[in-house]
Amino acid sequence: MANTQTMTAEATTIEPPKFLTGAQAIMQCLVENNVKTIFGYPGGAIMPTYDALYDYQDRIKHILVRHEQGAGHAAQGFARMTGRAGVAMVTSGPGATNLMTPIADALLDSTPMVCLVGQVKANLLGTDAFQECDIIGMSMPVTKWNYQITDPNEIPEIMAKAFYIAESGRPGPVLLDITRTAQADFMTQPFVYKPCDEIVSYRPRITPKQSQIEEAAKLINSAQKPYIFAGHGILIANAQDELDQFARKADIPVATTLLGMSALPHNHPNYIGWLGMHGNYGANVLTDEADLIIAIGMRFDDRVTGDLSKFISQAKVVHIDIDPAEINKNIVATAPVVGDAKEALKALLPLIKERKHTEWVAEFKKYDDIEFEKVSKRDLFHDGDQIKMGEAVAMLSKKTKGEAVTVTDVGQHQMIVNRYYEYMKPNSLVTSGGAGTMGFALPAAFGAKVGAPDREVIALIGDGGFQMTIQELGTIAQSGLPVKIIILNNNFLGMVRQWQQLFFDKRYSFVELQNPDFITIAKGFGVDAHKVSDRAELSGELDKMLAANTPYLLEIVCEKEENVFPMVPAGASVSSIRLE
Amino acid sequence: MTTYTLSIFTTNTIGLLNRITIIFTRRRLNIESLTVCETERKGVSRFTIVIRHESRDAVEKLVRQIRKVVDVLAVFGYLDHEIVFNEIALFKLATPLGGTPLDIKEINLDWNAKVVHWGLDYVVIEKNGTEAEISEFYQYMKNWEILEYLKSGRVAVGKTEKGLVEYLPEADWETV
Ligand SMILES: Cc1ncc(C[n+]2csc(CCOP(=O)(O)OP(=O)(O)O)c2C)c(N)n1
Repeated sequence: MANTQTMTAEATTIEPPKFLTGAQAIMQCLVENNVKTIFGYPGGAIMPTYDALYDYQDRIKHILVRHEQGAGHAAQGFARMTGRAGVAMVTSGPGATNLMTPIADALLDSTPMVCLVGQVKANLLGTDAFQECDIIGMSMPVTKWNYQITDPNEIPEIMAKAFYIAESGRPGPVLLDITRTAQADFMTQPFVYKPCDEIVSYRPRITPKQSQIEEAAKLINSAQKPYIFAGHGILIANAQDELDQFARKADIPVATTLLGMSALPHNHPNYIGWLGMHGNYGANVLTDEADLIIAIGMRFDDRVTGDLSKFISQAKVVHIDIDPAEINKNIVATAPVVGDAKEALKALLPLIKERKHTEWVAEFKKYDDIEFEKVSKRDLFHDGDQIKMGEAVAMLSKKTKGEAVTVTDVGQHQMIVNRYYEYMKPNSLVTSGGAGTMGFALPAAFGAKVGAPDREVIALIGDGGFQMTIQELGTIAQSGLPVKIIILNNNFLGMVRQWQQLFFDKRYSFVELQNPDFITIAKGFGVDAHKVSDRAELSGELDKMLAANTPYLLEIVCEKEENVFPMVPAGASVSSIRLE
Repeated sequence: MTTYTLSIFTTNTIGLLNRITIIFTRRRLNIESLTVCETERKGVSRFTIVIRHESRDAVEKLVRQIRKVVDVLAVFGYLDHEIVFNEIALFKLATPLGGTPLDIKEINLDWNAKVVHWGLDYVVIEKNGTEAEISEFYQYMKNWEILEYLKSGRVAVGKTEKGLVEYLPEADWETV
């Protein structure tokens, strides 16, 4: 309405230069940024932008989610697949607060995201207006950067800055709080979009200092038992080839963190497993024997280190990270290297000597054998009649040749997927690592499928977490995209139950679920759904699921009180890892 | 406990104070004093934050976390001997008829303080100095009835020949 009024009022006077509204400028910025898909949910304070979107539907595909948390996680899934910022667009107040969990999740897992959030009109700010919320204040601790836009003229510059900050350096979420007036008002100058590639107060170091590289190379060349910890930074920097060459040339065993999973293919001669609370036996225990740790794009999270005072205290540490604040944060680095993982590895490669550490690499194998005997064998080859999560995942891994993208939720099944899915392609695990957000998987899998339509994307979710964002089945059904969803149903909040069993005298305090009929629910949403509880039928059911080219849900009824091992008890040293 | 003075240079943006202080509160660090001002360079603000901590390592980590904020240009952590620093205190004293008269000369010359306002039956005295000097002066001021006492946060400059602009990432910093 404001639009027509201005037009008629001004039509009688001199023809004014035609400028965009703020909302149109937002759309134009998305187009200039090559954003083809956004995830969102409309409401009062963002309506001018949704109105502008109406005219941009041919250039920008908007996906209507069912809850703003879904928009956020979908944007994360999209970002993890594409390396580009996922865009979520929501209204003010509750729309914005619903987005907080994905934002916090994205900050911890270094996921680029641009959140466009509506805000009440500028003159209402601070008046407790309808759906007003101090979202700048609220999101400050969980965003890489946030900014409130009150003037439409600011939009091109701020949007450019938002994408640059979200995607560069250590990626992270950015939130723009845009008043309704800034969306509805006309700019008073022509729209000019200039991509941002420099901010004076923000200069992530990409190329490491040569002196740091030389120092690191010296340590690597003289180490007897070097050990690489490969983190998410490898995948973010797209440095898996460099990691491969580096590990082969110096013949160094490589373990990944949870988010570093798939940085090397499972059958790589130097890949020895994963680190952390439910990681592999050898990968954890042998941290005590290494004389040099080469940590790349990982942050020594407490789920990796266990008791910090006892972790790798005998070893020297080369720590490569793009975020200088990670250096010496938890573990003191003998030789810090600040820079992008790919650039650092490229610079290191010519300086490191070709070596053979045959015995050292083989040592991990011994522990693998023990782990197989005590843990994997029980999970994979048993004669019980109930399906174990492990065997289901291992079967899925075989059937997909380890080439699918697995998107996991949080809990026992998450750990089981990492144990038994044998990743052959890089960037194939999307999971909520730092935040451990239940409800992540379903929307994130959808976003991942949007970002990587040519890959088989399979969500693996617990029966608890599935019910946290179950409504996104609607989004998936509406899109028609063949997202595959597996519920590993143990009828328990399994991971919490496991802790209660092991550390709280089996006092099961509110962990058993009375679950709905997932099949009926999925069908109600228009998603094809099947259930399997008989081991003999598992293989056939998985085949059917993989053959589908529509959204498909498979509920696998699993043994109820299975535990995940190995396990490093929280706060204990990694050497106290338990196998049973 | 050691006193550390942090000088934080930022671009002048709304909300930055909040973004910086939450880094302290999240780590349960108490801010002893905080002063924000514009600098001689256009668009650059300067935060001076004083904290006490027993671990230098923790302070170094804190500095790196502050540096990480997108709008922060530079951060320096100083020990007291590395800076010239000062605070300003105001004392409102009651001067009723028949009370002990103030010795203005002593206040001026011995204490290096001055009366900045004469009220009907009170005066306001301003004293600049370090925290120690101010607290010493406070003891002296107690000879009168102190109606109000307050003190600013610390302002501090490093004892180096360089000006701030030389530490900031290269850019054409316009002087104000
Ligand atoms: C949002 C959220 N709330 C609570 C938790 C704590 N939590 C971690 S694992 C878990 C149980 C998950 O149960 P389920 O989804 O059934 O998966 P399972 O462990 O059985 O595989 C809970 C409650 C969490 N991680 N996230």
